[in-house]
Amino acid sequence: MGEDFQRNQLKELKETALPCFQCGVCSSSCPVFRVSPELNPRLSVDSIISRGKVPSEGNEWLCAYCLMCDQRCPMGVSLAEILMVIKNISAREGKAPPDVIESAESLMADGCQSPISSRSEKQREDMGLPKLPRANPADVQMLFRATGAAEVVELNRKAVEEASE
Amino acid sequence: MKFAFFPGCTMAYRLPFAEKSIRMVAPHFDIELVDLAFTCCPEPNTVRALSDDTWITFAARNIALAEAEGLDILTACAGCHESLSLAKHELDKKPERKNKVNELLKGLGLEYRGTSKIVHMHQQLFDEIGIETISSKVVKPVPIKVVTHTGCHLLRPERILHVDSAEVPVKLDMLCEAIGMVPLDYMDKTMCCGAGVRKTNSVTSYAVLREKMTSIAMVEPDAIVVFCPTCFITFESGQRVANRIFGTDFKFPVFYYTELLAIAMNLPGMDILLAEHRVKIELPASAETKEERKTGAKDSIPSSP
Repeated sequence: MGEDFQRNQLKELKETALPCFQCGVCSSSCPVFRVSPELNPRLSVDSIISRGKVPSEGNEWLCAYCLMCDQRCPMGVSLAEILMVIKNISAREGKAPPDVIESAESLMADGCQSPISSRSEKQREDMGLPKLPRANPADVQMLFRATGAAEVVELNRKAVEEASE
Repeated sequence: MKFAFFPGCTMAYRLPFAEKSIRMVAPHFDIELVDLAFTCCPEPNTVRALSDDTWITFAARNIALAEAEGLDILTACAGCHESLSLAKHELDKKPERKNKVNELLKGLGLEYRGTSKIVHMHQQLFDEIGIETISSKVVKPVPIKVVTHTGCHLLRPERILHVDSAEVPVKLDMLCEAIGMVPLDYMDKTMCCGAGVRKTNSVTSYAVLREKMTSIAMVEPDAIVVFCPTCFITFESGQRVANRIFGTDFKFPVFYYTELLAIAMNLPGMDILLAEHRVKIELPASAETKEERKTGAKDSIPSSP
């Protein structure tokens, strides 16, 4: 499943990126490039078009997904969306950052991105805020498994363990 | 107007006072809020980055819950708004994705049909209620100078969201003017707050924030006004982290817009909410002159972030 998934995604990416003529307005508009030039949206796209590969350095995870590149591209190429697909590919290679995996695990556990503490529940109560209805955890986990996220989380957990051995 | 209210995880469990301010002002503008068993929107930088299918399925489930009640969704967070709006756009445009998602939702007794709209509080106040109605409710104007930060995920992608101009946003400034504030222009108004990379590279994230805050500091505002809880936390708590990393000295009070609206409407209980702020501001009485005004920002930063 993994390799087919990647081949198809790459083929689609290449078509999406094709109108890019490397003007670089994406990079000059990128707030992250301004402070960390290792994220260069223009070069990520160049790697896909000219080498048919996602860049190997893993810098796609530096994209803040602010969509300024998407806004300004004169050819309508959404660099942010391309980087999002690259992140999906990278995650399937076990290269997702640990904090991202942790957030996904938190969502899997209680349907919420930031863990819900008893302190925050108490604070809501003190302010007279209603107790918010929660999703059935079994439903949340079913969707997580059926859509591939549980597999990706597992794969990244293993990659971390292997790296620490 | 009745809505399925989508406060989002960040507002509900980290900024409950901002959520409270929305619930306080809502009835005064004929907004009725219904709470449903939503999950995280989910957040694009984590869940969507791992698995696009997981992201769209959870978003579809959330929207389907509102559709089952025949309600539009009122969002409070820019991230949730963008995530749900983009998922909706994709599902409405691509029947094969919608069918795939519905296969799974069927097991939960739900179906995504595409009948509910996704509306952010910013849009409801500016586009539906309007500046004039808002001004008419003001009993105690808030005479401070502010900069506004609408937030990336309310502005872009502009072709799908239509909240305000992605390059020159002005609506939040006008909402501020409507309650007596003076909005100031600044250089990096549409720049990201940096939150998007906090989980992947925190130093980079705070370096982006430093750039943004430097630009804000140049025009010397009394406070920063936002319409997103994630941007709120990034500015309010993040400025202290940026100060430690880079030796800067940012101490700006930050407000979610409806907090200031509640203050201007003189709704009871706002003082309790403001006590939750980490950088305090002493709001001047409306009749006070600029010279008499004291901001308490400089010496009221609590010790823990």
